[in-house]
Amino acid sequence: MSLLEQIESVKQAAVTELQSAEELPALERTKGAFLGAGGRFTALMKEMGSISKEERPAAGKAMNAAKLEIESALVQRRETLELKAALPAEPADFTLPGRRRRVGRLHPLSQVTDDIVRAFRRLGFAVADGPEIEDEYHCFDALNTPADHPARDAQDTFFVDAAGRPLLRTHTSSVQIRVMEKMPPPIRIIVPGRVYRRDNADATHNPTFHQIEGLYVDRNVTVGDLKGTVEAVFRDLLGSDVRLRFRPHYFSYTEPSLEIDFTNALVKKLGKDWLEIAGCGMVHPKVFETVGYDPEVWSGWAFGFGIERIAMLRYGITDIRLFYENDVRFLRQF
Amino acid sequence: MKVTLNWLKNHVDFDWSPEELTERLTLLGLEVEGVKRLVGAFEGIVVAQVLSRDKHPNADKLSVCRVADGRGERQIVCGAQNFQPGDKVPLILPGASLPPKPGDKEPFVIKVGKIRGVESHGMMCSPAELGLPDAVDGLLILPPTATVGQPFAEFLGRAGSDVVYDLEVTPNRPDLNSVIGIAREIAALTGNSLRHPELTADPVAGAAPVVVRIDAPDLCPRYTARVIRGVRVGPSPDWLRSMLEKVGLRSINNVVDVSNYVMLETGQPLHTFDLRLIEPAVGVGGLPTLVIRRAAEGEMFTTLDGREHRLTPENLLIADSAKGIALAGVMGGLNTEIRDSTTDVLIESAYFTPTQIRRTSKALGLRTDASYRFERGADPNAVATAGRRCADLILATAGGIADGLPVDAWPTVAEAKTVVLRHEKVEALLGVAIPGVDQVGMLTRLGLALQPAEGDAPGSSRFSIPSWRVDLKREADLIEEIARLYGVDRIPSTPPRRATGAHPFDAVYDQLAEIRRQLAALGLNEAQGQTLINDGAARLIGVEPVLLANPLSSDMNALRPSLLPGLIDCLSHNLTRRNGEVQLFEIGRVFNRSGDAVVEGWRLAVALTGARNPLFWAGAERDVTCDISDLKGMVEEILEASGLRGVTYTRRTEATGLWIESAVVALGGKRVLGQLGQMQPVLAKRRDLRDPVFLAELDLDLILARRNPVRSFKPLPQFPSIRRDVAMIVPEGVTHEAVLEVVRQIKPANLESIDPFDVFRGRQVPAGQKSLAYALTYRAADRTLREDEVTPVHSRLVEGFRGSMGASIRE
Repeated sequence: MSLLEQIESVKQAAVTELQSAEELPALERTKGAFLGAGGRFTALMKEMGSISKEERPAAGKAMNAAKLEIESALVQRRETLELKAALPAEPADFTLPGRRRRVGRLHPLSQVTDDIVRAFRRLGFAVADGPEIEDEYHCFDALNTPADHPARDAQDTFFVDAAGRPLLRTHTSSVQIRVMEKMPPPIRIIVPGRVYRRDNADATHNPTFHQIEGLYVDRNVTVGDLKGTVEAVFRDLLGSDVRLRFRPHYFSYTEPSLEIDFTNALVKKLGKDWLEIAGCGMVHPKVFETVGYDPEVWSGWAFGFGIERIAMLRYGITDIRLFYENDVRFLRQF
Repeated sequence: MKVTLNWLKNHVDFDWSPEELTERLTLLGLEVEGVKRLVGAFEGIVVAQVLSRDKHPNADKLSVCRVADGRGERQIVCGAQNFQPGDKVPLILPGASLPPKPGDKEPFVIKVGKIRGVESHGMMCSPAELGLPDAVDGLLILPPTATVGQPFAEFLGRAGSDVVYDLEVTPNRPDLNSVIGIAREIAALTGNSLRHPELTADPVAGAAPVVVRIDAPDLCPRYTARVIRGVRVGPSPDWLRSMLEKVGLRSINNVVDVSNYVMLETGQPLHTFDLRLIEPAVGVGGLPTLVIRRAAEGEMFTTLDGREHRLTPENLLIADSAKGIALAGVMGGLNTEIRDSTTDVLIESAYFTPTQIRRTSKALGLRTDASYRFERGADPNAVATAGRRCADLILATAGGIADGLPVDAWPTVAEAKTVVLRHEKVEALLGVAIPGVDQVGMLTRLGLALQPAEGDAPGSSRFSIPSWRVDLKREADLIEEIARLYGVDRIPSTPPRRATGAHPFDAVYDQLAEIRRQLAALGLNEAQGQTLINDGAARLIGVEPVLLANPLSSDMNALRPSLLPGLIDCLSHNLTRRNGEVQLFEIGRVFNRSGDAVVEGWRLAVALTGARNPLFWAGAERDVTCDISDLKGMVEEILEASGLRGVTYTRRTEATGLWIESAVVALGGKRVLGQLGQMQPVLAKRRDLRDPVFLAELDLDLILARRNPVRSFKPLPQFPSIRRDVAMIVPEGVTHEAVLEVVRQIKPANLESIDPFDVFRGRQVPAGQKSLAYALTYRAADRTLREDEVTPVHSRLVEGFRGSMGASIRE
């Protein structure tokens, strides 16, 4: 057999064997058997020295071509086998639940408060706060609530066993007074916070709950401004299909006083025409006089509503106590 | 306050539908809380008159009639024979139904239809069809005096249909606790006039049959009394009983019912006494004498509900010369109440001051329709007319005759207040221009009267305020009235104005929100706990809590001095509901004493118990429960995110109160930031907490005060680092902090970081000792470090460990 024939024959044997190797180690062994130091192809290459000068170029060319062919077969087969080896031993069940890294949730009351605050801030309001332990002056007197007004009933107010018998504020409106005492007009604030009423806990009452108060004082502020702002906020909060209705009411610290009802698809679904959502009004001149603002120069409006109520409406929660039990199955839903 | 559509229509004309009235009242500020339709008897049946009667073209026994129903003429096909043109008969109109009979499944509804080819628009009725006594065969023929078009029920004197409205009256509007008050609002809105009941004139001559003496004019500015003799106490007439029943009152007898009716009609509470049970005074001609006086301390009095009360001088009594006979403005006495045998009635109509009535009502736990009205403010000017009205109705329903002159004790007549309205202020406050003349018109329709006075500024009007409007005190009150009548819904909304508010808390709100988000990102759910907790739970954390003076229950008798008791409760709540993985945080205010004062402060607390990870189906970590390092890692993340530096954690050597093991967290080793640790398992188990419970609480005010939000960029390292590990065995008491202290003293050159990567005990480690392994990273900022540079530095450090901590180095 001529050298050329031998090259062809060894090459074919190598390619066949490489292509039939079933595993990577077998492939590497086959590679060794042909291309290794004592390999069959290597042995042929050594014979190049012993052939005639005339034959050498052709043989060299054939040798190179054969080597490339073997190496290419090797690379191809190796990739195939590597791919095969990398196949997972068992198929992944993509329907099994993944491994979760829990992200905690903010309390629904925090989320709703944040949304309300965001809506007001867009309109230039700043967040303010004040103490939860209050005196009668800020909670009632300065808000034009006379001493014998039913709203001041000790039945409804918690008093603290401390010097001066302070009380737990029954509304965030006390902060109106605190802010106006400290800051000159114009004022544009909102006050989210906890308030307290001496009610036994049931599906719609908790002794602690949250309100948000808005106060705007400037020159020439009108009922029109009040309506426009409230409408903007509630559209932001409850969706653009919301409709509001303002109806005269009574609060000691506003005049005129209004209650706000709203309606949207949700309210209709509840089988109601309107749902009461907030109280508001133009700041009573007596309140301005009390804090030293001239009611001839300044006018303003205030409004307040319960945060739990908004959250209950938004999420369809029917028992206020759920907010304070902090059952994680509840908290994780928001 | 309940009122019916028909009752209102007695006093004012309006043609709104029942639904429209609801809407109108609501927008006037009288929120309608409930609407109840009362279907009357014989709905849709009227008195009609037969005009002509002709034979039916296709039926011998039927006739075709033309009938007048009061509005027009109708064609009716009829089968009866007992009538002729001119007869008046009950006619049921199409759409109405016959009174149901026993056994009927559905009402029989009359429709327009053809009878043997001739249209019939209704049906003339027989007594049987109407469920009335069956005296005739054929139609019920009514007397010629019956009015055509009149509802048949009205003809019979039976109750017709009506609509009952339940209205929420705000406390500033006592005048709306009356039918006339509400009718006045409607009159003002429609411009139609208000109809008051017609009154009989009081006699002008004669003697008064009783004596009234007011000893406490400060509590009772006006008292009137009238006497009617010879009444017959008995059941009330139908109209009276049915009206009271419609608005939820029980009918008692004609005299008491009248006084209730007049109270509802006028808003003025009245009381009736059995005159013969009132003791005559000695020396005043033997006349029955009423004394309005404060009760004596400890005076006993039995109200007509049979309850006995011990009174004080705070309470006002109506008394005769021997005894109290009524608790003024609240409830009458059992001793003088109207009974079946009563023949002579004394009618009281008076004005009592609100504060006193409220105190008495509250102190004695007696709330009545009368006290409700007096404590909100009745109308002193309405006292006499209401008494007269009551007398008229008693005479009409119970008979008798009025005796002598009425008594009207009214020592000081209050003058009407006046309020000036500057017309341009209306637009300034409402944002809508309403002509001055319209403003005046609205206010006068509400009963205010123009009363110009010398010196009133141009562009303004002075009004006298009617005595029933206790709420109208100043200009803004008048503007509110204008807003109500104009309609708040008609005021155009103006877009929010540009201006920016400011308050120091504004930034704090954002900082709190950011910390909340970071805590949630750490996997914690946010809790909102009760502010009010049990004092025993509060004491758990070793602080004497601030107590409430008037708690509702012992569950909630203290202000929380810490967030931890509430969070522990939340853990228990979850665990008893088998929520096995509970990791919570709360941000909220706590309340603590500082000397005499109570101070509020913001806190942040974390509570962990149970599984560290959500349930999973493989892996070694799946059954792991939380440990102290989970908690500390979270605290570190939060403090680091706030930019706090130099935070130290010092282990308390003793178990204290709440804690089995805990540490004080401090800033710079001094300012206490809070604490963290593991709860006493015994305490935990008592609350159904079986897995270890880890708690941390931090002073959020201090964190916010010291927070450092400034971040500055450090260039990323340019050159590779060299890592050397060291493992050593040290006595148990040597802390990580002690290791760091050695490093700080030796200050190895180019040491970038030192991180513990293994801490263990047991195996080859002797008892009382532990093995610590650290990775030390060396890096130069300006070049690639060489191994031979690091080796001597690292060796010196290792020698330091060996020397100063008694560490044996594991090679």
